[in-house]
Amino acid sequence: MSFSLAVLIPLFLVLFFNLPFYKVSGKIAIFIASLFCIIQAFSFFLPITANCPISQYFMLDFQCDGISRLMLLTTAIVAFSSLLVLYALEDTDRKQFNFVNLILLSLAGMNGLFFVRDIFSIYVFIEVIASTSYVLIAINKDKNSLEASFKYLVMSSVATVMMLSSIAILFLVAGSTDFVTISSMYQQYSGNTLVVVAIVLFIVGLFIKGGVMPFHGWLPDSYLAAPAPVSIYLAGIVTKTTGIYTLIRLFYSVFGFNTSIQSILLIFATISIVFGAFAAINQSNFKRMLAYSSISQVGYIVLGLGAGTTFGVAAAIFHLFNHSIFKSLLFVNSAALEKQVNVSDMNEMGGLASKMPITSTTSVIAFLSTAGIPPLSGFWSKLMIILALWTADLKVFAFIAIIASILTMTYFLIMQKKVFFGKLKEGFENIKEAPLAITFVSILLCAITVVVGIFFPFILNGLINSAVSF
Amino acid sequence: MSYDILLLLIVLVPVLLSTLLPVIAKFSVALRNSFALLLMLIPMFFLCSILPEVLSGNIVKFVFQFPLGINFILQADIFATFTAIASVLVSTIILIYSFEYIKHYENQNEYYFIVVLFLGSMMGIIFSANLIFIYIFWEMTALASWRLIGFFREKEYIRRANKAFLLTAIGALFMLTGFLIIAEASGSFDLDIIANAGITGGLVDLAIVFILIGIFTKSATFPLHSWLADAGIAPSPVTALLHAAVLVKIGVYVYGRLFSFVIIPSDSLRTVILIVIAVSAFVSGGIAFVEKDIKRVIAFSTISQIAFIFLGFVSGGKVAFAGAMLFILIHGIAKAGLFLCAGIIEHKVHTKDLNKMGGLLKYMPFTAIAFACCALSVMGIPPFAGFFSKFLVIIGSVMDGNVFTGFAFIICAGFTVLYLVRLFTKIFLGEEKGEFVSLSKEKLLSPMVLSVIFLAVLSLGFGLFFGDIFAIANLAANQMISI
Repeated sequence: MSFSLAVLIPLFLVLFFNLPFYKVSGKIAIFIASLFCIIQAFSFFLPITANCPISQYFMLDFQCDGISRLMLLTTAIVAFSSLLVLYALEDTDRKQFNFVNLILLSLAGMNGLFFVRDIFSIYVFIEVIASTSYVLIAINKDKNSLEASFKYLVMSSVATVMMLSSIAILFLVAGSTDFVTISSMYQQYSGNTLVVVAIVLFIVGLFIKGGVMPFHGWLPDSYLAAPAPVSIYLAGIVTKTTGIYTLIRLFYSVFGFNTSIQSILLIFATISIVFGAFAAINQSNFKRMLAYSSISQVGYIVLGLGAGTTFGVAAAIFHLFNHSIFKSLLFVNSAALEKQVNVSDMNEMGGLASKMPITSTTSVIAFLSTAGIPPLSGFWSKLMIILALWTADLKVFAFIAIIASILTMTYFLIMQKKVFFGKLKEGFENIKEAPLAITFVSILLCAITVVVGIFFPFILNGLINSAVSF
Repeated sequence: MSYDILLLLIVLVPVLLSTLLPVIAKFSVALRNSFALLLMLIPMFFLCSILPEVLSGNIVKFVFQFPLGINFILQADIFATFTAIASVLVSTIILIYSFEYIKHYENQNEYYFIVVLFLGSMMGIIFSANLIFIYIFWEMTALASWRLIGFFREKEYIRRANKAFLLTAIGALFMLTGFLIIAEASGSFDLDIIANAGITGGLVDLAIVFILIGIFTKSATFPLHSWLADAGIAPSPVTALLHAAVLVKIGVYVYGRLFSFVIIPSDSLRTVILIVIAVSAFVSGGIAFVEKDIKRVIAFSTISQIAFIFLGFVSGGKVAFAGAMLFILIHGIAKAGLFLCAGIIEHKVHTKDLNKMGGLLKYMPFTAIAFACCALSVMGIPPFAGFFSKFLVIIGSVMDGNVFTGFAFIICAGFTVLYLVRLFTKIFLGEEKGEFVSLSKEKLLSPMVLSVIFLAVLSLGFGLFFGDIFAIANLAANQMISI
């Protein structure tokens, strides 16, 4: 399969849906889009080699490596979950239709981002994703969502300006924007102040996009205000791709590591991990807590990257994959709660485990995986991050990473105690389990978490080591 | 089947098949219960079949190479097999007891699932010969105890379950840091390689301290003991399983496994550990004397007795090691008996407050006899088995030159006698309380009463045939400590 198709097909589908001669209903659009996601997920197992005309026409430098393929798989899984939840939750045809179109556009942007080997094209695809995200967040058009979307727009524009200036400087020095030229330029001028400023600007822009503390201001609001399927999509993959994947890609394929860059990554990662977790402990809103937890987990990914070794990169990519899966799972479960219980304040819930067994069991597994309890997937990626830091002689950070797990555990135990564990609150006697589409997604994502955890050695050899060989 | 496959199955059968229990319950509750029992009996059967091989001095080993040096190695020597048999034995009796105890409550499916999973993880800890896998199974037991302590779902209970989980998890994370230091110093997570590396030095002592934090939280040693007494709100079979027989023994077992032969703590560190456990024994013995809640008394008694087991392993000599090993088995049986008796009493009189009891001997004679036998064993009165293990531990530590510690622990043994006699008197003897008049006399033929009687008989029986099990313990000590 030619990998340019991953960009072309979603674009073509959007066109096809919007031709004026006929009307495509929301349900059919969802069906076709999820079919595309399934195919994309399976394309992970196919050999992707041949190049395609698009790169010649647009002079795009498209290449595919193990990281791209792993990201393709992750994106497909998360987008698929989000589409199914959309099917279960949203009943107006128009909204479903709009949502599918936007998600397909965003998918095109993301798939492009995974393949390009040119920093300006990276910027273009990030903007494609970002502009669809503004609309997705504001899709309900109420006050909160518009405000959140505006906030994201402003913060994101700042990031854009930073990234563009950085690209301009790098272009000025290197004379081209493709990875190879910039990389060889960087070997030559790595001590140059202008180049260092450019790189730092780029990093900060990506930190804003990825919601790393203290640049996270937009993130909790957007996750909270966006409708459930959007927050699954945003939290599961969009911020991870635009911010964190790009960061990994830049340092893995272009710049390489040096101690000053590493210390920037490590310090901001630690701030994210610790303060994100403390902020999560104080939240009473389910989705807000998940948002802060997301910030804290993104810190772990950046920390792994900060180890500055290929093993660290592998650990970061692995944690990114795991985090996408279990954080989507938690957001799916929050969608289920929102639909069935209709309150989002955790203090008003209680004892729902007896009424919603699937939702509660899968949340427990997701949170245990986030907290790094063996033998689930999150444990292994966290262990890899810790081992990477340890072998890179960054023992203090390794120790912080270990001990911060306790904070993760704390806020999830609070959540578990308030929402699922405990005696059933009055007035909740008639609550039923979420509809089949949602429980199906929960079980699917939960199964991935458990299977990746139990078959870790095979996953490590088959999935991670082929992405980043260490 | 070859021995290594049997060894693998001992761990995998309960861990993996336990997930089937909730599914089976959809068809029949009786089937689920018998399947749970089967999942306990299968490991027992396999353990007995590898026992002759192990006793002949060979080490059964299953090795599966994993990336990153996290090798899945299971290794059965006499010490491991003996402890495993002790754990499965007690767990099986507790499971049979819970068939009757638990049948009126909700969440039974979860209960049986977690109990069997817990046993499987316990087997994993006992046989693992790789630090990371010890950690993995260690956390799985923490997970299981979290669900089991919160069994009744009351708000306060869940708070305490969370407390236990967080406290043991913090300990475990410190332990993981210690493991990383050890792995860096020796170059591997595999116990064999670490043992051959013969590492010592300041950094290794720091690692040992980190690992000890983990061990002390799990085995509830002062000052990290506070979760144990609070966790007494769980159903009695759970408290028996967690606090008496199995969970708290994990810590001491891992101490014996890691620090007897693989990594040797320095002498100064050893002295510090001795002081800590002596303080732990004294303080908890004192608290047990003033507590009013029957299960809290027994829980603090556990903390105090755990210190005796530590004493045996810390001393480092063969006699002390053999004594500590036997202590794990004997104390497990006797203390499980005490907790299960407490469960029967609680079911009968619906209170845990000692001051509201009295004169129960008349209504529950069988429980009283079983309680007395188990209490005598814990106190260390001959000819009950507890006497021999306690004697060996103390005499062993004196032989290794820790005369003062030995003396301190003799005083602690005196404490034990005092608070257990007080407990027995308060419950069974003394004035009858008026509200008990309506109680019917207990029947002998119920699973609950029969299981406590069985435990009482074992406590006596192991004492009478002490020579035989001591021979096994001696073999184990010789295998572990080769001087």
